[in-house]
Amino acid sequence: MAELRDRALGVIVCAADASALDRLVPAGHGARMLRVAPDEIMAVVDAAFTQDVRRELADRVAALDGDALVLDVSDGWAAIAITGEDADRTFSYLSALDPPEDDGFAQGDVARVAAKVLRVPGGLAILVPAYWREHVRARAVDDAGTTEARG
Amino acid sequence: MPSLRLDGRRIDVRDGDTIAAAAYRAGIRTFSRSLKAHRRRGLYCGTGDCANCLVTVDGLPGERACVTPARDGMKVDRETGWPSTDRDLLAINDRLHRLMPVGFYYKVFARPRWLWPIAERVIRRATGTGTLPLKAPARRMATRFVRVRTLVIGGGVAGLAAAATAAADGSVLVAEERELGARITDPAARETIARLAAEARAAGAEVLEGHTAIGIYEGPATAVLGRDELVEVEAERVIVATGAVEAHGVFPGNDLPGVWLGRGAAVMAAIHGVPIGDRVVIVANTDEGQHLADAIRAGGSDVALVAGRVLEARGSREVSSVSVLTPEGRRAFACDALVLSLGWAPRDTLLRMTAEPEVVGAGDVTSPGRSLADAEASGRAAGRGDPVEPADAGPWPVAEQDGYVCVCEDVSMHDLEHAWSEGWTSSEILKRYTTATMGPCQGALCSRHLAEHARAKGAAPAARGRTTARPPVRAPRLGDLTGAVHEQVERRTALHERHVAAGARIDHSGVWLRPGTYGDVDGEIRAVRERVSVMDVSTLGKFLVAGREARMLLDRVFPLDVGSIAPGRARYLLALDEAGYVMDDGLLAALGDDTFYLTSTSGGADRMEAWLRNWTDRLELHAHVLNQTAQLGAINVAGPHARDLLATLSEDDLSRAAIPYPGHAEITVAGVPCRAIAVGFVGELSYELHHPRGRSIELWDALLDAGAAWDIRPHGLDALDVLRLEKSHVYLAQDTMPDDHPAKLGLDWAVATHKDEFVGKRALERMNALPLERRLVGLRFDGPPQRGYPLAADGVIVGRITSCTVSSAAGGPVGLGWLRAIDGTFPSVLRAGDVTATVSPTPFYDPEGVRLRG
Repeated sequence: MAELRDRALGVIVCAADASALDRLVPAGHGARMLRVAPDEIMAVVDAAFTQDVRRELADRVAALDGDALVLDVSDGWAAIAITGEDADRTFSYLSALDPPEDDGFAQGDVARVAAKVLRVPGGLAILVPAYWREHVRARAVDDAGTTEARG
Repeated sequence: MPSLRLDGRRIDVRDGDTIAAAAYRAGIRTFSRSLKAHRRRGLYCGTGDCANCLVTVDGLPGERACVTPARDGMKVDRETGWPSTDRDLLAINDRLHRLMPVGFYYKVFARPRWLWPIAERVIRRATGTGTLPLKAPARRMATRFVRVRTLVIGGGVAGLAAAATAAADGSVLVAEERELGARITDPAARETIARLAAEARAAGAEVLEGHTAIGIYEGPATAVLGRDELVEVEAERVIVATGAVEAHGVFPGNDLPGVWLGRGAAVMAAIHGVPIGDRVVIVANTDEGQHLADAIRAGGSDVALVAGRVLEARGSREVSSVSVLTPEGRRAFACDALVLSLGWAPRDTLLRMTAEPEVVGAGDVTSPGRSLADAEASGRAAGRGDPVEPADAGPWPVAEQDGYVCVCEDVSMHDLEHAWSEGWTSSEILKRYTTATMGPCQGALCSRHLAEHARAKGAAPAARGRTTARPPVRAPRLGDLTGAVHEQVERRTALHERHVAAGARIDHSGVWLRPGTYGDVDGEIRAVRERVSVMDVSTLGKFLVAGREARMLLDRVFPLDVGSIAPGRARYLLALDEAGYVMDDGLLAALGDDTFYLTSTSGGADRMEAWLRNWTDRLELHAHVLNQTAQLGAINVAGPHARDLLATLSEDDLSRAAIPYPGHAEITVAGVPCRAIAVGFVGELSYELHHPRGRSIELWDALLDAGAAWDIRPHGLDALDVLRLEKSHVYLAQDTMPDDHPAKLGLDWAVATHKDEFVGKRALERMNALPLERRLVGLRFDGPPQRGYPLAADGVIVGRITSCTVSSAAGGPVGLGWLRAIDGTFPSVLRAGDVTATVSPTPFYDPEGVRLRG
């Protein structure tokens, strides 16, 4: 049985020339750098390090593209973690996407809404625009049979 | 002993019984009545292929009794016949059958026309199977997505051999309709299946028992239906190993209860231990005859095994004798069961659904009647990806006399002949005219007969093929098909729970859930007009557009003069498409020289993002477009005391100079950083506070607490509809049409025609050179108007009302409506039902816009 819980993640968007992003040194603090478009990176990090990573990226990308945009957009995203041995199978009730490997990510429809999917310790984290949080949680419980984690 | 109830009668259930086995043991011989003639139908195929044994189980119709396990306490009802299946008065139809030849419905009820609705009701009551449980709660089927290298459909010898072999080359999923080997009577076959299943599992293949593939679609994508899930399988290749169904023989009396196909009869006798009759005649032209005889004899029946052609079966309630043309001549047998093993029809509907080369067959589905070794070899060859073997459908009992071709739809050989003589001379149109193959079994038994009939009649090759195979192969429930598709995906703002707690009526507004009203629309309107109110407008599309060419992008895309918007100022924004038609509207705020904040309508946000990104790419401009709709909440604080309220929660300068109309400023309200935008949609002093979504609740609560001094109350969509109408602001889509250019809406003031370029400019120039044939106008009424009512001038309909309300602020009933020009002139006085409408200047409320400037 897989468990469902909200996960506190920081999300920073870094928009810049594709060539600048190609050369951008990844941020620290365990930030996952998701290249969601040629000219856009989404950095996902433990919420406690959000501002550190934002500053770090802003400094680094400024040196490569003076016109780059770096923003903390954490408020716009809901992160929902599905954990447990059955996490991947549970996820297959929500999406036709292949669950990502350890360092990769997938983007596409999850429970019929646009999402990014990351591998996290013990399972998967699904990031969706915040206004779909309740929808995805409901689908994960009703369709995929997850249980809400306690505590 | 466990038991079920069949039509109220208690029937014992033994371990391993299907519903059919338990019922047959209890003496039930008639399981249903045929669709049209109401002839008795008994167990026939015993493999789930025909529709003779469809019953209602615990309220759910259409269950196949021959393959559905029986359970203690189950409530089973036969579905056809009136007043009962055993005593069906509608069996009179069988006597009248000759008076109702094929095509009867098309011809007889064509004239007089009034007769058809009556006849239709009678026919509908007399036919059909089962009753839909309309009051039962809808079942929601979960959908699972699986991507594998190889999907094998069918868990018989060939399928499992294919799976065991293919598993060496990647992931394999096997979908088997029942339990592996559950209904196999041949011990050697059972042993082979057990061995191959173990080998396939050991090689890593996943076997889904109780899962039926119901359709193969482009991709190939396969829909596999389990009891509790719909599995969508994307496979690089699909191996169909669904075997063959035994041939359906056509002869007089072929549909009598007591006539069986061989394998089903063997299962009943050998697996369920139920003798199918006392005296059984087996007519076998295949090499399975002796095995069938042994299996049925083991059930306790006296068996005669004969080779030949069945000439006729006789009987009234069930078969009592049979005539067979044997090599020795015509022979008659008294019997109470007739078992047929005449050949095979490949169970190839899935295979015929697609021409994709990745979908291949293996085993009996390509060449029925194989030995176990041959089936295994065929499966292994398919599993390795060897070249596809040529198909060989094998022997087939060509119909040479009358009898039922399609038992689902009561279509006889006589009917096919009749239809052919009327000119329906191909298998496809024979199908449509006679409805053969269109019943619940979807042609499993009869489609080959139809093709053979066309061939025997000398039809051209193109006219004698098998009829088109389409999903579903097995009849699923409608609820199964919905599998997560029917849901409406809803967006919620961060304040949703606050609205619910405040007793708001929550409406669907496009994809959003929004408060319609908090219970007192008039009170909400008065709060806006007289004091102060708040509204959750987080649903607005919100975009940050930045970069050294952001201004150029926006100026090139939108018709307003972006170059003239100074930082700190904002401007009403129209979005036009290439044809010059109004696509969306909103507000554009200049945050800096190369940074802009743009809002769109709530429903238009996704389209606006795609539109902006597309133009950024097309124009190859250096600009970043960031959709902040989810990231930012927005609350509109509106009313004559809006500034007073904000002043209690903010230390920033809120003066008209600091936040001009239309303009904006970054301020802090109740500790929450906000972009305050002075707007005028409701016609009062208003500030939209755009802020981080995570702090929406904090801000909302603070505004309501502080606003208590002015008796604040939130307003919803109902109030907004009145407020915006008093200012004659349009709702896109409600007040507009897809081909509206700005002049038709009276919005040409929002277009900077002097600009060299903007999207839609050339189209607008051409349209503006033409006389205006239609325009949106303000209307005042002398009575309560109704939205959607036509507007008539001198008895001619010239338009319609798109929005209307009775407004105290506007001094009576007002609205907006479309008006068409007559001879180049727009009428000014119109009728809208019983009401007179007069074209009126707009806006209806505060036309000088004094109030919204505060």
